[in-house]
Amino acid sequence: MDELYLDNIDEYVNDQDKIVTYKWLSLTLGVHVNTAKQMLFHYLDHKRKESSAQLHATYLVSGKCVDNGQASHKVSVIKEDKLEDFKSKMSLIVSVHVYSVQKALLKDSGPLYSVDYDAVKDNMKNCSKYSAIRCAGAVPVSSVELQQTREIQRAPSPEPESKKSGMNGSAHQASKPSTKPQKGIMGMFASKTSSKNQDNGKEVKSEQKEEAPVDEAPKSKPAVKANPMMNFFGSQAAKKPEKTVKQEEAPPSSSSVEQKSPQPEEKTQAAVVKPKPKDTQKESRSKTKRVEESDSEEDKMDKKKRRRIKKPVSDSSDEDVIPDSPQQMETREPSPSPKKEIKAVSHSHQRDAEMKTRKRRRVLKSRTFLDDEGCMVTEKGYESESYSETEDDFQAAKPAPKHPVPAKLPASKPDEKKSQKKNNANANKGSKQASIMGFFQKK
Amino acid sequence: MTTLTRQDLNFGQVVADILCEFLEVAIHLILYVREVYPSGIFQKRKKYNVPVQMSCHPELNQYIQDTLHCVKPLIEKNDAEKVVVVIMDKEHHPVERFVFEMSQPPLLSISSDTLLSHVEQLLRAFILKISVCDAVLNNNPPGCSFSVLVHTRDAATRNMEKVQVIKDFPWIVADEQEVHMQDPRLIPLKTMTSDIVKMQLYVEERAQKT
Repeated sequence: MDELYLDNIDEYVNDQDKIVTYKWLSLTLGVHVNTAKQMLFHYLDHKRKESSAQLHATYLVSGKCVDNGQASHKVSVIKEDKLEDFKSKMSLIVSVHVYSVQKALLKDSGPLYSVDYDAVKDNMKNCSKYSAIRCAGAVPVSSVELQQTREIQRAPSPEPESKKSGMNGSAHQASKPSTKPQKGIMGMFASKTSSKNQDNGKEVKSEQKEEAPVDEAPKSKPAVKANPMMNFFGSQAAKKPEKTVKQEEAPPSSSSVEQKSPQPEEKTQAAVVKPKPKDTQKESRSKTKRVEESDSEEDKMDKKKRRRIKKPVSDSSDEDVIPDSPQQMETREPSPSPKKEIKAVSHSHQRDAEMKTRKRRRVLKSRTFLDDEGCMVTEKGYESESYSETEDDFQAAKPAPKHPVPAKLPASKPDEKKSQKKNNANANKGSKQASIMGFFQKK
Repeated sequence: MTTLTRQDLNFGQVVADILCEFLEVAIHLILYVREVYPSGIFQKRKKYNVPVQMSCHPELNQYIQDTLHCVKPLIEKNDAEKVVVVIMDKEHHPVERFVFEMSQPPLLSISSDTLLSHVEQLLRAFILKISVCDAVLNNNPPGCSFSVLVHTRDAATRNMEKVQVIKDFPWIVADEQEVHMQDPRLIPLKTMTSDIVKMQLYVEERAQKT
């Protein structure tokens, strides 16, 4: 019995030149994943002792690491030669096991996914039969329940708002410490008009000096959203402004993890303030639209966040990493590091990965041109393309060092990447706003 | 359910489209795996729901697309017997030949709804096999180039020479030295049989590469 599986694996690896992942092995042989992992380990051990054919292996390493001062839980698939190096970087190693064994030296992680794809697809209904992760409540939804949930989703639910107002309390305390930058921002908000929202957004960001450009994009949304609200409050001279100012200053100064709370804060405030302003029509329109926008933004943000959790875990750090399995991914803590810029392995075009998470908003377009030295340069840049009407004004936010930033967006920053992201974020914001205003003006 | 014959050109076009798309992905992947071009020009894209490596270089992409555009009419009429991707060293002697042998059954019949997803699955297996082919192949010498050859049945190429499918993209008859290889070793990679096409991929490798 013991020898039998060794022969099986030997056949797969050497005769059929397959990549044998533990998941594929468990589904093929009908054993628990942990057994499959052990089988692979023993096989590898056995073969290495014999030192016959050259085998390559990849390992799955899961553990905690401190990245730029932020602790995160990282799960990575590592090539064997980089294993020790990677393990030394981790502060705490939770698990290490063999991910796959193959004869070929893999250049990238693509085939590892392909191997499992068909096996999982064939066993779709019970692909977690041999999995070590169990959830008693994870039962496929019956068609009746599915229809019900769809109907509920169509009607806008008041529930999320009430939930988030609960979160407001906790976030409120966070807003207290930083009063000075708040005042500065307040001053900016009060003096500038609503048409210069993007400028405000930019200056707010310059004060924050966020390192992660990806964070800036979603962060700019709450910040920029705060601006029209602030302008609105400033002009109205209502009772609420001071309180709301403090709460809304929270977004610029909070970390990325607290992003969600400021957003719902704005939402609730917006909902409360909505009945108030009837005189300034324009701003009231912008307010209601802001609420809806923040709704959709949040959904997108959620989606983005979810996608980002999957994607950056797959592309994070320096190595070729891919997620273990779709089910296992959801159980990992969403660490701040995935929200930082996604780094593709040895690629200068880093925005490819982001393209997949922001399909709706930005279209990755590549431009090829001859630069000064006569070298052909292919640059990929985000162009904010909105699927609604006329967004041409804000489309040209190309991250080219040679091309000047479009006139509508403010001055460039020394850091090229950051400026690109900011411009894109601003362009995005601008395009969203323009579309909203355009929609109302048509009436 | 429906039985379509070769005369039904629409279906022939569909098959040709599928095969040409597949060949494009396969050629890019071969260039990546065999390191004909530096890996920096490749980016991960998705095809058949799996990640594949495609090049970003516009001229390379255009060349491959034009090549396959010319091959497509041959595949439609089932005139293309083999499509070969030849990797040559600096002296233009072939070191490796990836041969895609294909044949279509005379009576194409769609017998099931899941035909295309079945075909997709088979093509995915081809892609996977190409990704791991360096287990069975020796490394290529540096400075390799590639070309695409098409072996046709009968005299179909005569038509090709008369009608230039793409302007300024002529096809020429390959010379002996590109077609034949010294001491070839044959390594079969994958075979697939489906209702619409039968395809076989094998590699001919020169025994001594450097």
